Amino acid sequence: MKDKKSSTADRRNFLQSGMFGAAGLGLAVSTSSSVVMAESDKATIKREVTNEVDVLVVGGGTAGVIAAIQAGRAGAKTLLVERNFQLGGATTTGGVAFPGLFDAWGKQVIAGIGWELVKESVELDGGKFPNFAKVPRSHWMNQVHVNQFVYALLAEEKCREAEVELAYYEFPEAVVKTDAGWQVDCIGFGTRRQVNCKQIIDCTGGAEVVGLLGFERLREEERQPGSYLFQLGGSHNPASKQLHRLYVHGADSTNSRTATLANLTGRKSILAKVRKDKKRLMHLQPETGFRESYRIKGETLITVQDYTSGKLFDDAVSHAFYPVDLHTKTGVRPKPLKRGIVPSIPLGALVPKGSRNLIVAGRCVSSDRLANSGLRVQASCMGMGQAAAAAATLAVQGNTTPSEVPLAQIHGLLKKHGAIIPGKA
Amino acid sequence: MAGSGVWAFAQPFSIQVIGLHALTGFIFIAVIGLHIANNFAPLKKYLKNRVVWLVSGLTIALGALFYIQPSPIKSILGLSGNLGPALDRFEMTEEGMKYDFVPSPSYKLSLDIRTGSTYSLENPPRLAVWLENQSFYHIKTLYASETTDAKEMLPYWAFKLKGWEEAKKEAEKKGVDLNETVDAVSGATENGSFDPADYIVPGETNSSMPYRVMIEINQPVDPTEKLEDQPSLIYQVEVDNFDPRTFQLLELVGYPVQEKNEEGKEEWAIYYVDERFGSAMELIDSALLSIERVTEK
Repeated sequence: MKDKKSSTADRRNFLQSGMFGAAGLGLAVSTSSSVVMAESDKATIKREVTNEVDVLVVGGGTAGVIAAIQAGRAGAKTLLVERNFQLGGATTTGGVAFPGLFDAWGKQVIAGIGWELVKESVELDGGKFPNFAKVPRSHWMNQVHVNQFVYALLAEEKCREAEVELAYYEFPEAVVKTDAGWQVDCIGFGTRRQVNCKQIIDCTGGAEVVGLLGFERLREEERQPGSYLFQLGGSHNPASKQLHRLYVHGADSTNSRTATLANLTGRKSILAKVRKDKKRLMHLQPETGFRESYRIKGETLITVQDYTSGKLFDDAVSHAFYPVDLHTKTGVRPKPLKRGIVPSIPLGALVPKGSRNLIVAGRCVSSDRLANSGLRVQASCMGMGQAAAAAATLAVQGNTTPSEVPLAQIHGLLKKHGAIIPGKA
Repeated sequence: MAGSGVWAFAQPFSIQVIGLHALTGFIFIAVIGLHIANNFAPLKKYLKNRVVWLVSGLTIALGALFYIQPSPIKSILGLSGNLGPALDRFEMTEEGMKYDFVPSPSYKLSLDIRTGSTYSLENPPRLAVWLENQSFYHIKTLYASETTDAKEMLPYWAFKLKGWEEAKKEAEKKGVDLNETVDAVSGATENGSFDPADYIVPGETNSSMPYRVMIEINQPVDPTEKLEDQPSLIYQVEVDNFDPRTFQLLELVGYPVQEKNEEGKEEWAIYYVDERFGSAMELIDSALLSIERVTEK
């Protein structure tokens, strides 16, 4: 057994080896914060825990992070439950670290908390933005490249600053309606959590909470392929260029078993490619990025005609902007929107039909398949996340349901937090 | 050779016919050479005949005319099915410009540009119409003003044209077959064919490549309150034979700006038009592209 002195010396040597300096820094941080963790351990090692919150955000991906921050900033006691180990979803865990599109036709159309997070990520990382005054040769040229690692850290910091409680590795297994709202039973490894909340914002991507509650969801026989991102050969330089992409056809994020299958398939193919190309595997994302699973059937359904005509809904709360972009087995042929068109997202498309005290945000937005192929992208999901949280928070404060909150109040709160309101620019 | 020449005039895009025509041409030149070698003395005597000089002069003059292609010659050649300036019919009317392009008997492309309120017939703006592939490479200029300042006034088109000429030369140097759909121009996509026919009248619409019809227009010396001289404006429309449309309006894209790319090379990018622009936006009232496709029943 080593004594304390030799252990310290070893650590110093470890830190001095330049190659592992970064890892050493991580060790140093965790060492210094272990005192605080030891104090809270008494609470966290309890198997059962109960939370009383105003708003429960399920899913800490692209939309969920923004929803949680908005709810927290607007004064709602907020808990964010995330099945994975970090925030950011497609942007970070999926590796699609080039969110877009925030601009359309030379003007910004999506701003607010999502843009704030993206902007700070780029600035902290010393990156650069596309020139939005320039007509992009192709839509993807105006996606903003972010460092996925920095983005995840900043997302977490902003949640903490907004006093959002984070619960990683957990997922709801049961949801019951109560007089005050909902009782949501979550399960993680070694833990069970009972959440009593007034509003739920389902940001799971596949509307999992909506499914648990038995509301109608839409699903295609064949879904768009997922993408497993990796880097073969040259080193991975975050926020500089896109990673290599493997299409995983049949990828399905419906449940842990289907997601496992998609990941196994993706990783097996990547390993085969490593062997075939005889190149070093320099980077591998933790899981497949999923494009499509379930969509809700909402109070309003956005059709592809609504989307491509840029219909301004009466209850529009956010913009969306992206070509109709359906990936199939034969690839993808994006259909750009006509000049000047900027679609809008109505509040009704975020509210499951017939539901109360429940709202969604993200790619499960109520829409037909083609409209969804354009709506599902990150900037639009961020806009939806903020709008859904504004409605849910105001519903808590007004003791009502999101769809009954006066639209002017939602617009007012969104505007206060930097969002762009369709038709009000 | 006469037979293959007439055949090439009538049948568009046939590499077989052009190949045959070239072969008969080379054979013809070889036969002439042999003929001269075998009959040098009697042929020399013909040079004293005035008719020989007259015929030679006429042949040279006709050759020059068909090379330069003034309007009447274009009209004659326009009856041919081959791609080239010969197929262009450009006409200026009171209402605007009408441009017809018939690359195949089964495909007629018309561009109807209605002039706007600031268009002056006395001092017309410079104009270029060209086709680009999906990789933004020039594939064919359909029309360009024949003024000496056209390239200066239409910098975006001139930049694209130059890029295409350079890429073509480079591909020729590398021995790339320019008549095949190759990856020589873009180096990144399949949109690398040098043959406009691959885009306009593809053999299979299922595997067809969309292309763009572009217009650049510029009125010399047209200041506004905020601009000393308004730059040229660019309009475009995408044509996809996989998703055929009979009528499509060209839309204003923006104005060109010269800048350096990441490799430090000069290039032209398009920027969105802003409030500084005025009369330039009224040069064109509308530009309608119509395509008549004759499909076999």
